[in-house]
Amino acid sequence: MADHNLDSLDPMAFTRLIPTRESHFAAAEARIPADYPANRLAAALHPAYQHLVVSEVKAETKDSRVYTLVPDGDMGCTSLAYFDAGQYLCVYIEEGSVVTQRPYSILSSPRDSLCGFYKICVKAVEGGFVSNHILENWCVGTKVRTSAPLGEFTYEPLRDCENVVAVCGGSGITPILSLAKAIAEGTEELSLTVLYGSRLEESIICRQELDILSEKCENIKVVYVLSHEEKEGYERGFITASKIKKYAPEGKYSLFMCGPEAMYKSLEGELSGLSLERKQVRREVQSECFAPAPDSPVSVNITVKAHGELKTVAASGKDTILRALEKAGVAAPSHCRGGECGYCRSRLVSGKVYIPEGLDMRRLADSRYGYIHPCCSFPLTDIEIEVFPKR
Amino acid sequence: MPQKRKLKYMAKKYDAIVIGAGNAGLCCAATMAKNGFSVLVLERNSVPGGSATSFRRGRFEFEAALHELASVGTKEDPGSVMRLFSYYGIDIDWQYEKNAFRVIADGDGGYDVTMPAGIEDFCREMERSVPGSFESTLAAFKLGAKIGAGFNYLSSGNVDPQVLFSEHADFLRAVSHSVDECLSSLGMPKKAQDIFKTYWPYLGAPTSEIDFAHYMLMVDSYIRKRPAMPHLRSHELSLALEEVIVKLSGEVRYNCPCEKILTKDGKAYGVIAGGEEIYADAVVANCFPDTAYKSLLDPEAVSERALKIAGARKISSLFFSVYLGLNRSAEELGIKDYSVFLFDTPDSGEQYERSASLDTTSMVVANCLNCAVPDSSPEGTSTVFITTMLREEAWGDVRPEDYKKLKNKFAKKLIKLYENKMGISLMPYIEEIAIATPATFARYLGTPCGTPYGYELRGWDTMLCRIMNAKNEQAVENLYFVGAHGERGDGYSTTYANGHSVGEKIAKGVQKNGRS
Repeated sequence: MADHNLDSLDPMAFTRLIPTRESHFAAAEARIPADYPANRLAAALHPAYQHLVVSEVKAETKDSRVYTLVPDGDMGCTSLAYFDAGQYLCVYIEEGSVVTQRPYSILSSPRDSLCGFYKICVKAVEGGFVSNHILENWCVGTKVRTSAPLGEFTYEPLRDCENVVAVCGGSGITPILSLAKAIAEGTEELSLTVLYGSRLEESIICRQELDILSEKCENIKVVYVLSHEEKEGYERGFITASKIKKYAPEGKYSLFMCGPEAMYKSLEGELSGLSLERKQVRREVQSECFAPAPDSPVSVNITVKAHGELKTVAASGKDTILRALEKAGVAAPSHCRGGECGYCRSRLVSGKVYIPEGLDMRRLADSRYGYIHPCCSFPLTDIEIEVFPKR
Repeated sequence: MPQKRKLKYMAKKYDAIVIGAGNAGLCCAATMAKNGFSVLVLERNSVPGGSATSFRRGRFEFEAALHELASVGTKEDPGSVMRLFSYYGIDIDWQYEKNAFRVIADGDGGYDVTMPAGIEDFCREMERSVPGSFESTLAAFKLGAKIGAGFNYLSSGNVDPQVLFSEHADFLRAVSHSVDECLSSLGMPKKAQDIFKTYWPYLGAPTSEIDFAHYMLMVDSYIRKRPAMPHLRSHELSLALEEVIVKLSGEVRYNCPCEKILTKDGKAYGVIAGGEEIYADAVVANCFPDTAYKSLLDPEAVSERALKIAGARKISSLFFSVYLGLNRSAEELGIKDYSVFLFDTPDSGEQYERSASLDTTSMVVANCLNCAVPDSSPEGTSTVFITTMLREEAWGDVRPEDYKKLKNKFAKKLIKLYENKMGISLMPYIEEIAIATPATFARYLGTPCGTPYGYELRGWDTMLCRIMNAKNEQAVENLYFVGAHGERGDGYSTTYANGHSVGEKIAKGVQKNGRS
């Protein structure tokens, strides 16, 4: 029987290890590669910020405008980060030393970004701080800082059906408009049926573009639904299961939804009538949460630590912690504002919070270790939290 | 509800600043904090952990990079990770996998075997698959014990060359010869050798290069202690470590990248972060030396030798991972194995060669976490995590506009490969999908090429060489590097140990020299 040992190997080889290694170092160039392909791609797709400038403003409807944003050469920005149709930009609004941010879906096409522009649509919101600030202040030449494109509301061919029915409400048309353009230009391969709900004919956003797209591309169909107006050529009322069934293609399809909270609420009841699997239903999260607990306190104190500094601010229990901090002029990070992306993740040091059902998208261990997403958490008591804004 | 912790005002001077909250950075900071040091940890992401993290998609929470943890053990028979966590006062809900792995290798001399954990069982299963391999396989594990003893003797600090050569001769052979050389010397049959080498992707270098001692320590720690997973994903481990630091009055700042390491007269004395200067007696970098030399240190602070050391090394494996949230349970899909290695050739050298290109690679490690942690996804669902390890040259320049198509095409290839080899259908059940390419890892880790590993463990640059020469290779006084690029290479248990040992070294050193 053979001996199973290492006796055939030279133990003295050990003495040559360090000299061999030193010879490798001696022979090497004293140089580190400047860059690597994977890091180059990551930097191109995910710059920390993009410095842009408004190049065009177009009044879209009575209360909305489309802004064209191009690279701001003065700030050293020469090109735009490419994106997947359906993604958004976080727009940073600086007022004094306080920075607040809001997500806006990109409505231009991915290829447009290679040609050097993004388009976003801003609609007036009653009491909306950022949207009204933009509508009042932005003009051609305004300098704007945004994030890189972000978000998961995209078409994924390995997951989604080849047929997509998109249900949109109001300015929720924008990510789907980008998707339609991506289909027309050949960036994405799918068939798209859009059911687009608006109050009135005149409140339809980007009507002309939608009509041109559906005319020239047989993979794109658009159905307009008006809730507050009866007109020929339009569906009337809200978007229901029966309307979806009427226009949905034969066979399996994925349902993409983007719109205001009220639309999601009304669709919730409709979905059961469509016998879709959960994987077939995609929903853009990006919508501000206004649903505090019924017994939320009128006023609480939030003690907030950031970069080692402490501050206490008064807040209403009706506001999310993120909104409360923004109202009080405290810088806090955020991206999606719908609980999903986790970028606003903060440490709850003490106190109790309420997280509406379905919006708790935290990692399991975050819940265990006392981390919260302030964009969809409401204070129930005085609280102390630590936030981590970028400086 | 979280425990009440005391908030305090910021101090501008710390005993130590740690750049990066990866495994090694967190352990280094926790150990220093345990030794009474004031510690500041700077992390550029919004979460700790580096690769040791998780992310959500829909109703699923995916493990980002962990396949399985070695050296955990049980409370009764703790491994090094369990002992270190006990030292910190951390109690983790560990879940264990009874089998080590299943491996399916196609081609001439291929096989499909499932290897159990436990040394006796492992050797017996090897004998069943390859008659005549029991003795040599057992001999390999016996050497594992000798290798451990050898490392302990060397690190005792009191080494008598005569004792070393007489009593630790096999250890000396194992640290200076490759896996291939040693398994052949042991007289292990070829097929058994191939099966024994299955774990090589976890170290990222070919078995003709990895020294047997390092490889054997890893295999031993998986087989002897059984692979383990934390109940709540790796994020639980990272948060547990973070909590230790914070409870001991340390500070962890997220979204706060280090912009510069401050040096004077060849010594590090602080950093710039968030636009302010922060001072410390010791600076610990959990980033690659390459990154620090290139973008954090003044060029004149970096010696030619330091640049040559970095320049001589090759970046280790890159990951391409596909994460699937499936709307069927593992049982419904027919998935029985937690960890499966799929190779298109039984030869590990060939497997390594083919991983140099996306076109030729067809090596896959696939995990179904539900088989180890049954409630890791909602009832009636499961997750599958498919990874291929690539060599640096496999990821060339990709135009942003071609990226989505490329990653979907390659992800589809990996899913199809899994489906074909396992005879299991996944595609119709994909409810959520995420694809992480080397560019994704580069985005979050900031490492060269996005490697979650370190420098390739070549035969001339082994763990032992790195440990023996660590003192001579410190580029800047008071600046310490920790992480997968460090002495012990990649892996959770190794990066934890690396961070902890550097933390102890700093704690002892500063105590000896007094604080400034």
